[in-house]
Amino acid sequence: MKKLIAIVGTNSDQSTNRQLLQCMQKHFANDAEIELAEIKDFPMFNKPVDKTLPECIQKLAAKIDAADGVIISTPEYDHAVPAALINALNWLSYGIYPFVDKPVMITGASYGVLGSSRAQAQLRQMLDAPELRARIMPSSEFLLANSLTAFDADNRLLDRESVKKLDGLFADFMIFIDITAQLNHAHNQNKKEAKEFSWDKL
Amino acid sequence: MKLLGIVGSNADVSYNRFLLQYIQKEYASLFDLEIIEIKDIPMFNQSDDLTDSVMIQNLNRKILQADGVIIATPEHNHTVPAGLKSVLEWLSFKIHPLQDKPVMIVGCSFYDQGTSRAQLHLRQILDAPGVGAITMPGNEFLLGKVKEAFDDLGNLKDEKTRAFLSETLQKFVRFIGVASQLKVPEKLPEEDLHATGKIATTIADVDMHADDWVEQASAKVTPVKGDTYVELDRGILTVDQINGLLKSIPLEITFVDSNNQFLYYNHTADSEKMFAHRKPGQVGNPIGDCHPARAYAHVQAVIAALRSGQTDRVQMPVPTHGPDKYVVHNYAAMHDEDGHYAGVNEYILDIKPIVDFYLKKTGQQLTGGKVDAVSGASQKAAAPQVDAVSGASKKEAAPAPVAPAMPKVDGVSGASKKD
Repeated sequence: MKKLIAIVGTNSDQSTNRQLLQCMQKHFANDAEIELAEIKDFPMFNKPVDKTLPECIQKLAAKIDAADGVIISTPEYDHAVPAALINALNWLSYGIYPFVDKPVMITGASYGVLGSSRAQAQLRQMLDAPELRARIMPSSEFLLANSLTAFDADNRLLDRESVKKLDGLFADFMIFIDITAQLNHAHNQNKKEAKEFSWDKL
Repeated sequence: MKLLGIVGSNADVSYNRFLLQYIQKEYASLFDLEIIEIKDIPMFNQSDDLTDSVMIQNLNRKILQADGVIIATPEHNHTVPAGLKSVLEWLSFKIHPLQDKPVMIVGCSFYDQGTSRAQLHLRQILDAPGVGAITMPGNEFLLGKVKEAFDDLGNLKDEKTRAFLSETLQKFVRFIGVASQLKVPEKLPEEDLHATGKIATTIADVDMHADDWVEQASAKVTPVKGDTYVELDRGILTVDQINGLLKSIPLEITFVDSNNQFLYYNHTADSEKMFAHRKPGQVGNPIGDCHPARAYAHVQAVIAALRSGQTDRVQMPVPTHGPDKYVVHNYAAMHDEDGHYAGVNEYILDIKPIVDFYLKKTGQQLTGGKVDAVSGASQKAAAPQVDAVSGASKKEAAPAPVAPAMPKVDGVSGASKKD
């Protein structure tokens, strides 16, 4: 069975994005082993000169390295990815490169009707940066709008259309992971470029 | 013109900081740029609201009081750094100081792109409801290959870059003028002019309206007196010495606490000899007692502006003392160590002798206009144009945000004159 790391894209105690990932964890239990990862205790990224990474970052990096794929669920703050998630990605590309060529699926939940559309677009752009260079599943937005009323008491999605959509996207993601494994011709070069990406020299 | 420059990086060494320092130095004649750091501001977390912390409140106040803001952003992972985004989240959560604030974006990076993508994201973020800044369109200042861009003295080497920066900054100054017209004056909360609330230092169960409030309150709290020592920042004085010192300052000083209770004035003269005719029996009064009802709107406006941080000082000439005086009422906001509003220090003085002294000692003179007999000052010499009837300066010497928020003050009633 495939092993996935699901990153909760916020440091808030209450989060419908966390709820969405918990819902997926249960709903897809027969298809993949999904482990939730929190970023809320990460210290503020400040480009430490000695490149020492906090232990929590190293742990998550190791988990991502070992996983077949990553799901990131992002809220939207001020039309953009929350600082806490930007912070996590800053750390996870500072002298370490766990995301290079890693299959990533993006989801997002919002209280309003837009479902974090702008944050997701920004997140795609971030994951495309040379020092992250993830393999983001194309054409696959999952935007969960009105997220406060989207779940039942057992944390299942109420809306059938949403469930269908998520089922489809998740099945695609399983295949996308396999396809991505074949897109390996540039992998060594990508890894090398990511490593050569220097926050100082660029 | 007063601008705030936000260093978008929390790194110890940042070229974006260099860039702002260069702008500060090079364009000192165009505007006064204060550079502010964000590196100690903690990560935004909606479950751990730190909006009331000193750092965020200070930043809030500085932004509110600035005519415009320049943000210098680095680019990490094709977007703005987490530290800068975090600050913008704090500034759009419970408080919104950037609302309608003119903002200009600059950025420098080690490589060719010069933060192009981060700047686009930053525009999008600044445009979000809750942030609501008015970002200057176009005029992107992207400084790529920044390690080679400055000389040893911290100056930009390339002439074309300097010319473009100069043009951009001049446009920004004009943009601020245009953008300020879009700003709808903020409706500030009502002030409790009758001091019906209570703060930690309020002396309870004493009639605030009583003429002998001081004596009654004194019996309640038994304050230190006479030759008892008091430790101050910075020194140790006896109560007598503090009293003597306050009385020897050539200002009429009045203190109103954050509950709008009039608690002190330096009692140096009888009521009729003062610019503002304080009476010993007024001490302890709610501030509403000290003004006629028709002046309440003005009092409300001044205190609300000070409390909100919209401004830290309001100045009003009060031209009712004859042509040989130029009496100015100053209202300065006081803050405690945590940055919270702690009341008003009102100090009143006649600045005419100061101006005369300056002219005599420097041999200069006021030129270029008729002296306004009512306000007693040459309009051209004293930069703001004084409206002798309303008694409020329409064009406040420096910051624009002060003036538009203030309704005209009725010079006849004075802001703090008792009927």
